[in-house]
Amino acid sequence: MSARQSGGAIRVLMRRALNEITRVPGAAIPGVLAPSIFFLGLTSVFGSLTLLPGFDTQSYQSFLIPVSLMQGAAFTGAATGVNLARDIEQGWFDRLLASPAPRPVLLAGLVLSASFRALIPATFLLIVAFAIGAEWPGFGGLALALLIVMGMAIVAATWGTSLAMRFKSQSAAPLMQAGMFLAVLLTTAYAPLELLQGWLQEIARINPVTQVIEAARQGFIGEDVTWAGTWPGLLALAGLAVLFTWMALRAMRRMTA
Amino acid sequence: MAAIETKQLAREFEGGIKAVDGVDLDVAGGEIYGFLGPNGAGKTTTVRMLTTLLAPTGGSATVAGFDVAAEPGEVRRKIGVALQEAALDPLMTGRELIHLQATLHGLPRERGDELGDALLGRVGLTQAADRRVGTYSGGMRRRLDLAAALVHEPSVLFLDEPTTGLDPVSRQAIWEEVEKLNAEGTTVFLTTQYLEEADQLADRVGIISAGRIVAEGTPAALKSEVGKPHLELSLVDQHGREADCERVLARFGKPLPAKDGKLLVELEHGTSEVGPIVVALDEAGLAVESLDLVQPSLDDVFVAKTGEHLEGAEEAPADEAIAG
Amino acid sequence: MSGRLAANARVVAALGARSVRQTLRRPQLAAPLIIFPTLLLAIQTGGAGGAVDLPGFPEVNGFLDFMLAGAMVQSCLLAGNSGGIALALDIEMGFTDRLFAAPVSRYSVVLGRLAGTTVLGAFTAVWFIAIGLISGATIEEGVLGAIWIIALVAATALAFGSIGAAIALRTNSASVVQGLFPLVFVILFLSSAFFPANLMLEPAASVAEYNPLSFIVEGLREPILSSFDGEDELLALGSVLALMAFGLWMCALALKGRVRRGA
Repeated sequence: MSARQSGGAIRVLMRRALNEITRVPGAAIPGVLAPSIFFLGLTSVFGSLTLLPGFDTQSYQSFLIPVSLMQGAAFTGAATGVNLARDIEQGWFDRLLASPAPRPVLLAGLVLSASFRALIPATFLLIVAFAIGAEWPGFGGLALALLIVMGMAIVAATWGTSLAMRFKSQSAAPLMQAGMFLAVLLTTAYAPLELLQGWLQEIARINPVTQVIEAARQGFIGEDVTWAGTWPGLLALAGLAVLFTWMALRAMRRMTA
Repeated sequence: MAAIETKQLAREFEGGIKAVDGVDLDVAGGEIYGFLGPNGAGKTTTVRMLTTLLAPTGGSATVAGFDVAAEPGEVRRKIGVALQEAALDPLMTGRELIHLQATLHGLPRERGDELGDALLGRVGLTQAADRRVGTYSGGMRRRLDLAAALVHEPSVLFLDEPTTGLDPVSRQAIWEEVEKLNAEGTTVFLTTQYLEEADQLADRVGIISAGRIVAEGTPAALKSEVGKPHLELSLVDQHGREADCERVLARFGKPLPAKDGKLLVELEHGTSEVGPIVVALDEAGLAVESLDLVQPSLDDVFVAKTGEHLEGAEEAPADEAIAG
Repeated sequence: MSGRLAANARVVAALGARSVRQTLRRPQLAAPLIIFPTLLLAIQTGGAGGAVDLPGFPEVNGFLDFMLAGAMVQSCLLAGNSGGIALALDIEMGFTDRLFAAPVSRYSVVLGRLAGTTVLGAFTAVWFIAIGLISGATIEEGVLGAIWIIALVAATALAFGSIGAAIALRTNSASVVQGLFPLVFVILFLSSAFFPANLMLEPAASVAEYNPLSFIVEGLREPILSSFDGEDELLALGSVLALMAFGLWMCALALKGRVRRGA
C-alpha cells in the first residue's frame, strides 16, 4: 500500500471511530463532563493544600488543570480500547483484519482518532477553568499542554487497544481504565513531590508520567515554558507510545496466529 | 490453477482441541464449493484459516495461488470475505461501509465511489444507501455485507453461512446474487448448515464432521452413493388394481413395500425412466392419480457418513414433485 | 399468609444472591465498586496526606484514618448506581418481565435487587476496614465501632440502591442510569467525604455543611477517629433512614406507575 493509500485508510478509520461520539446522542457527555467535574471537585475539596509550607503555587486550580487534562486524555484513550474490545467481540474487527491494509494502518486509525477526540474534554475543561478564574498560561504554555494532551491520548489508546487485542473482551475494560488512572495519579498530581507521602514520592519519582504532567504544568503555574522543562515530558510520552505501540502490534499479530 | 488448495490443513487450539484435523481441499477456479457441517464441526475454523484470520497449526493452504501463512497480504488482496453474523457497524451508513472497504483495499476515492454505487444498486440497496445500518433488516445487512466483500473484485469469495436466520425471500435474493457472481467467474467458497443451500448452489459439496472431511463430490453423486431415486405413485380407483400396477412397475425397477397407500419402485436408471413408466401404465389401462419422484437427500448422505442428522435438515424440501 | 411471606422471602434471598454473584463475577461491575475506590483512597492518601498539618485539620492518627469513611460512602454511591444499571439491563432484556409475570410480589423482585446491594455494601465496609487496619489505621471505638460502621454502610448502600432502582424502574434505560455516574462524584465532592468541610473552598464548603452525605460520613468517621458521638451518630442514622424512605417510596411509586402503564 502506498503512503497515500495508507493515509486514506487511516482517515476513514478515524472518521468511523468518531461516530461513537457524533452519532450516539449523549454518548460524549460523560467523557466530556467527567474531567471538569473532577477538576471542580478536587479544587474545592483539596484547595487548602496550597497553604502548606513547600507548596509554591498559590492557586490549586492552576496546579490541577494539567492533571485534569491528562485524566481526560487518558480516559478517552482507554475508551478507545473498550470500543475496540466490543468491535472484536462483535466481529467487526475481523473485517479490518481480513483486508490487505497494513496492520500499523489499522492501529493508527484508532489511536489518532483518540488523540483528536481528547481535545474535546480538554477544551471544555479549559473553558470551565478560565471561567472560574484560572490564570492564562500564555500561548506557548497552552499549545504545549494541548500537544501533550494529544500525546497522552495516544499513549492511553495504544495501551487500551493492546489490552483489547490481548483479552478480546470488554471484561478487560477496568484494566485499561485502572492502568491509566494510576499512571496519571501516581505522580505529582495532587501536590509537589516533597509534600507527597513517602511511598507515593518514590513511585512518582520514577513514574514517567510525572515528567509529562510537570511539562504541561509549566505555563499554568506561571513559569516560563523552557526546553529543559519540556523535553523530559515529551521523551516520556514518546517512550511510552513506542512501548505500547509495540505491544499493540504484537497483540494484533497474535490475534491471527 | 486451483483457487483453493489445502493439504492436511489442521488447527489445534490450546488444550489440545483439534478443531480442524487434516483437511484436504481442491477447489477449482470458477467453482462454487459448499462446505457443509453442523455447528462446531470445524467449518468456521477452516474459513478463518483460509481468510488469514487464523494461522494453521499443521498442513498448508493456498488461496488464489498464495500461501495463507507465508503471503497473507497477497491472499487478502485476492479474497472477499463475508463472515457469519455479518459484523457491521450500526452507526455507519451502507455507503460509508462500502467506502471504508474500498479504502482499506487501497482503491482511489473516485473508483471506490463508482464501484460502491454500482454494487449498492446490484444488491438492491440504492434507496437505503444513506441510511444507518442499524435500521436495516437482516436480509439487507447480508446483502450489504456481500456488496462490501466485492468492492475490490475478488477472485475468491468466502461466504460463511450467508443465509443463516434469513427468511426464504431474502435467502433467495442472496442465492441469485451468488449464482450471478459465479457466472461472472468468481470462485465461491460457501459454508452452510442448510442442505437446500448446498444442493441448490454448490457444484461440489464437502461434508465436514469433527474436523475431518467425511464425504466430497457433486450433490448428485453424493446422493446416488447412499441410494437411488424412487417413484411414489397412486392410481385412480386404485383398490384391487395394485397387483396389475406392480407387475408393470417391476419391468423398470425393484418394487418397494407400499407406504401410506402409495406404490413405490426404486429406479435403476434414474429419472429418465419416469416418462416410459407413465406410458406403460397408461397402456395397461391404469390411470395415474399422483406421481412423486423422491431423491435421496444430502441429509441421507450426512446420516450415512456421520450417523447424525444435520441441524438444518428439516428445512430442506429434498423431494422433487412431478405433477401427476 | 405466612406461607406467602416465606415464599416472597425466598424470592428476595434468591434474587439478592443472584445480584451479588453477577457483580462479583464481572470485572466491569466489581471494579467500580471496590477497585476504583481503593485506588482513589491510596492515591488521595498519598497525594494529599500532607493536609493533616493544615491548621484546623481535626486530630487524627493519619490521613488514611480520616479517608476511610469517604471511601466507604463512595462505594455505596457507586453500588447504588451499578445496581440501578443492572436492574435497567434486566428490564431491557425482559428478565424483569418474566419475574413480574411470576406469582410473587413485584416488591419482592425489587427488594431482591436491593438485598444484593445491601450485602455488597456490607462487603465494602469490611473490605475498607481490613485495608485500613493492614495499612496502619486504627478504629478507636474497637470491635463495636466496626460493627456499627458495617451496619451503617450496608444501610447506606440500601438507601442509594433504592434511589438507583427507582430511576431504573422509571426510565427503563441502562444508559440513562449509567449517565448519572458523574453525578455520584458531584455529590461526593460537595460533601465532607474527602476533606474536612471547614477547610474546603466555597461554595462547596457551604453545601457540604448541609449535605446529608456529610452527616453519614461524620457518623462513620467518629468511631474511627475517636469514639461514638451521640449526636453525630443520630444525624447519620437519621440521614440514612430518610434517604432510604425516600428511595423506597420512589420505587413503590415507579412500580405502581408501571402497573398503570401496563409495563
